[in-house]
Amino acid sequence: MSATAAPQKPRARDRAPAPARTKRRGRWLGLYSKAVIAYLFLPIAVMILFGFNDPKGRFNYTFQGFTLRYYSPSELLAFPELNEAMRHSLIVMGISALAATTFGTLIALALTRYRFRGRGAFNLFLFLPMATPEITMGSALLALFVTLNVSRGLTTIVIAHIMFSISYVVVTVKARTATLDRHLEDAAADLGADPWTTFRTVTFPLIRPAILAGALLAAVLSFDDYVITLFNKGAVDTVPTWIAGATRIGVPVQVNVLGTLVFMVGVVYVVINLIRTRGEGTPAIAPR
Amino acid sequence: MRRGRLVPFLLSLPGAIWLLVFFALPMATMLSVSFQEGSLEEGYRFTGTATNYTDAVTKYDFILWRSLLFGLIVTALTLVISYPLAYWIAFRGGRRKNLYLLLILLPFFTPYLIRTLSWKFILADSGFLLGTLKDVGILDEGFRVLATPIAVISGMTYNFLPFMALPLYVALERIDGRFLEAAQDLYSSRRETFLRVTLPLSLPGVFAGSLLTFIPAVGDYIDPEYLGGVNTTMIGQVIQREFLTSNDYPEGAAISFLLMAGILVGVFLYARALGTEEMTG
Amino acid sequence: MDDEIRRLLSQAPRRSVMTRRDLLRRMGIGAGALSVTALAAACGIRGEAERNRTEENGAGQGPDYTTDEITGTLNFANWPLYIDRAKGKRPTIDDFEKSSDIQVNYQEVIEDNESFFGTIREPLANDQQIEWDLIVVTDWLIAKMARLGYLEQLDHSRLPNFEQNAGEVYKDPTYDPGNAHSIPWQSGITGIGYDPKRTGREITSFEDLFDPAFAGKVGMFTEMRDTMNLTLLGLGVDPQEATVEDAERAQQKLLEQREAGIVREYYGNEYADALIRGDVWITMAWSGDIFQLQFDDPDLQFVVPDEGGILWVDNMAIPQNAAHPIDALEFMNFVYDPEVAAQITAWVNYICPVPAAQDILAQAKDNYTQQVAQSPLVFPTPEMEARLHSYKTLEEDEEEAWNDLFNQVIQG
Repeated sequence: MSATAAPQKPRARDRAPAPARTKRRGRWLGLYSKAVIAYLFLPIAVMILFGFNDPKGRFNYTFQGFTLRYYSPSELLAFPELNEAMRHSLIVMGISALAATTFGTLIALALTRYRFRGRGAFNLFLFLPMATPEITMGSALLALFVTLNVSRGLTTIVIAHIMFSISYVVVTVKARTATLDRHLEDAAADLGADPWTTFRTVTFPLIRPAILAGALLAAVLSFDDYVITLFNKGAVDTVPTWIAGATRIGVPVQVNVLGTLVFMVGVVYVVINLIRTRGEGTPAIAPR
Repeated sequence: MRRGRLVPFLLSLPGAIWLLVFFALPMATMLSVSFQEGSLEEGYRFTGTATNYTDAVTKYDFILWRSLLFGLIVTALTLVISYPLAYWIAFRGGRRKNLYLLLILLPFFTPYLIRTLSWKFILADSGFLLGTLKDVGILDEGFRVLATPIAVISGMTYNFLPFMALPLYVALERIDGRFLEAAQDLYSSRRETFLRVTLPLSLPGVFAGSLLTFIPAVGDYIDPEYLGGVNTTMIGQVIQREFLTSNDYPEGAAISFLLMAGILVGVFLYARALGTEEMTG
Repeated sequence: MDDEIRRLLSQAPRRSVMTRRDLLRRMGIGAGALSVTALAAACGIRGEAERNRTEENGAGQGPDYTTDEITGTLNFANWPLYIDRAKGKRPTIDDFEKSSDIQVNYQEVIEDNESFFGTIREPLANDQQIEWDLIVVTDWLIAKMARLGYLEQLDHSRLPNFEQNAGEVYKDPTYDPGNAHSIPWQSGITGIGYDPKRTGREITSFEDLFDPAFAGKVGMFTEMRDTMNLTLLGLGVDPQEATVEDAERAQQKLLEQREAGIVREYYGNEYADALIRGDVWITMAWSGDIFQLQFDDPDLQFVVPDEGGILWVDNMAIPQNAAHPIDALEFMNFVYDPEVAAQITAWVNYICPVPAAQDILAQAKDNYTQQVAQSPLVFPTPEMEARLHSYKTLEEDEEEAWNDLFNQVIQG
């Protein structure tokens, strides 16, 4: 039975009102979840607030007055290397998340569906990048690049980010592929589908949520990375490294503004789609 | 489970090569460095000495234990906090599941330092939160959250939440709601259903989430550095200093490998306890 | 082999993004020449004693640059926000480009002395050319890099503005005798910052950082040199004369401070927001930060302790084997023109190495620049200067000893 099959027309039984007790329980869960989401958004609210700050000095630590001026084009362009750093961060994030998710998903499939020699060792090996301190990985990778005389820049950042994200994707996707029901795929094969079609129409839709989750994790890891990027970036800056250096003089309000704008893109997308799918929240067959 | 010969290798090839070249190779060099001695001026020479490791244990054992402890606490906290959230998204999300997933991840697409600064604003000793509580008299004037172990653990819990929530969601999401409905008819108790059906089925997610949280948390450097106080030093900070301040690369490398070994042992024991086959597939 | 590497590297594209073609080409050409180096380097980290340096940077030898010509390009690495800006542009850079016909590739890639050194150490130790011709790092790192042979010597015949206009205190410093490898960019003071509203009284002495009345509200630095040198001054020891025993005494004092619960945290840059929010009441501080904070809270004070404070200097230097050293020297000379120095300090607000700039700034029309000109945190008074010292320049074994002592203090 596929968990993502289209919801069937509600049967008469399901339409009967649930007992008040279970309705309340269900509501508590929703309330709790919304509270957690609020907790997750709390520091972001502060970040957005300080994007409207009007500090007299160069630090943006105390709220001194409300202004929109940092949203004006001239102010937004006042730090071109910050904007450049943001561009770099987004590019690196996109490429590395894509690559890491692809590599990681393939490995997850290989590990959970096939028995082969070295499987256990490979499994263990995959934990190592997660367990290695960033500075150790960063320095070691830099030493490799230096030895090979590879000049550091955007490419080396992407290489590094892919490297440390793969393991996270593997673990995330494995949580799903490990318990994949083979009967569905066998059924598809019995019906005459070749392996690629089976994968495309049966396997992939089933593991898609896990792949999405892995991709999101890889993206976050890349966007936030500081130490490994620091060592392998050469003359290129990403947002975390630029901000870290700017802290000495004072992180400008533009950072908050830029962060808010990037964040808002995501929020707007989510809100629009939430509105579009209004009423499709609780499926008719959810457990009470 | 198929016996494969070519297919699994082909599937793993791109990722495996990437990790071999850009992780295994550099780390092999690091391993060699951990058995070296020397200094910036004289150069470092491979002597096969184990003093870097023994020094690390004698000097930093309490910091290693503290890091493992913090890692455990953070893992437990993130598990407790995210499980209901992941459950809600998986079972109540419906068509909006992916949207909710994106929603809980969005806060983490902001620069880490800005988030930390925001927490420092929120948790300031006399800020709007603590200050108000102190004015009203609920809290002692000398009470503080920042620069304490509580701040470090809270910060880490916040920052690692997605790493626990996502795998949990992935495992819960696969559970067919009708399955649970049937179980409820059988057991006629939500608690029973949860304990006997949902929880066991979600264990792969619990295991995966714990790994993704515990493993990096133990070696975390940035949270204790910015949120910590005087007695909160974690091993990540020690390694950072060995590399950058003391320029003692052999020592830094040795501590790193000690840390990795400790983590792997912990993970192995955990896998045994859970009885999963995760370690070998 | 070194020459060949140098030649190859000097032909390297200056773009910050390396294309796949470049990478392959580079690896193809370099593979044979580098194989031995690669093997050696891969099995260890080369030290300085191994490098053949007889013909370079020996004492009494002149500078030995890769080229003696102006090439028209300059790759300049600096800290973020450390040069003047107006409306998204950098006036000083633009002025320089116009007047000299040299294109400046200015990158704000230095976050921190130690991590920057960590990233350039590897190539420099392998005698490779790094991507920068001009860097700005703090004095102790200048001393360290000079000691390791990673810096080019400066040809002072090309730096007439420096000889003429630099303040006396910046010439022939202890960390770089004769300014052989560096000249100052901006400097600052390490002293004590405090909020009189919260401390309840005026602060004048280093001992005030140890006052139990401020328990849990005192900030100290994770920066070893700042904290150790300031403590030595507090103990009445001249840092330049300090012995290892003195350092141990300093460590003891710091440990007592920690055991007594007086220190809240050992800070990097983040003490500033703690101070203005009242999380700390009194803390070790840098003059430039307090100058900025005073715009937000005019009550905040910065003081050079009675026992003495530290004058640290960020310096311009040219890394070993730089591709465009003469262009770098041109720039270094350019910024010692009082007008240019005034322009930079008017924005950066750290201490200017050119005293004549103060008069120029005092004539400015706007309020902000007036404040800059009059602030003792940007142009220290003579009695402040009398109490200022430099860091002790440490030899490698001393550095190791001091680091060990200090790590025990901050790693609890």
